[in-house]
Amino acid sequence: MESFSSSFAWWALLVAIAGTMVWRFAGVFLASRIPPDSALMMWINNMAYAMVSGVVMLALVHPTGVLETTILEHRIFGLVVGLAVVVFTKRLMFSLFFGVASFAVAVTFF
Amino acid sequence: MIDALSAPGPAIGLTMAGYSTIAREAGFNFWMSLATSLGIWGLPGQVVLVSLYATGASLFIIFVAVSLANLRMLLMVISAADMMDLASHKLPLWKRVFWMHFLSITSWTNLGIAQQKYPSHLLLAYYQGFTLTIFFFGILGTILGYFLGDLLEPEFLRIVIFITPIYILLNIINARHKANRLAVVLGSILCPILFPLAGEWAILLAGLVGGAIASLYSRYDARLHSG
Repeated sequence: MESFSSSFAWWALLVAIAGTMVWRFAGVFLASRIPPDSALMMWINNMAYAMVSGVVMLALVHPTGVLETTILEHRIFGLVVGLAVVVFTKRLMFSLFFGVASFAVAVTFF
Repeated sequence: MIDALSAPGPAIGLTMAGYSTIAREAGFNFWMSLATSLGIWGLPGQVVLVSLYATGASLFIIFVAVSLANLRMLLMVISAADMMDLASHKLPLWKRVFWMHFLSITSWTNLGIAQQKYPSHLLLAYYQGFTLTIFFFGILGTILGYFLGDLLEPEFLRIVIFITPIYILLNIINARHKANRLAVVLGSILCPILFPLAGEWAILLAGLVGGAIASLYSRYDARLHSG
């Protein structure tokens, strides 16, 4: 049982590494060949942004693990504070601090 | 390297520590967690991998989802090679692939800032110093983060884990193009809504629909500006 699940994890890992390396390699290969402003590139890029943000929001809205012990309102509160600070200051680390700190205050005291 | 040591390095370390705690919770052992950071070196893909692994998704789904989450690598590599004028350095293919393995969202964004400060022939050296420093912090964070769970109370742990998604969202909401930012907003709204209906396919659906709407918007926007 344990050895099966652990070998499956290694396969999952291998498949994930392959799925990442293929893009880096293709990127190096295509770097000099693809016009970066083409419509196809724009679409792929937008799709990647939408997908990455979707995946991350999934981790916030439907979390697994320790984050499950917190309530959705607190997580969204931390996110909204972070977003508000980053939109106004454009400073990533600064807003990261504020977002995480508000979440920490919310889960600890409310 | 100094640039990397100030804020981004420690932040990446913490972020990767956050990843490592997630990986551990999902059932990855220490070597798997380390191998993920070394081999993938792209947080969204790593988070997708461990989250899908935890839900018991098939290898095919994992491959598709991680590939799609890391699709941006393709564009980041092309854009970074362009900024550094990589072709002028006449590096062999394996060296170009080697250096691009270390490209991350942070080093890519920083390259854009450095581009305004240094001449392009120095940017490769800048990138090498910066990205290796970030990588070092990331790997260190992965290693320490795995054992953080033993040292920290769950009350602290959940705050550390919260850093990772917030870091990514704050990073990508600042994307340069308006269409990219629209894609981020659409993806973040659609995916959690579709998830109860479609499971992990919600990621793909959100990407397709959000990406398509954002692309249509940018076409419309471009036409508007061109007259």
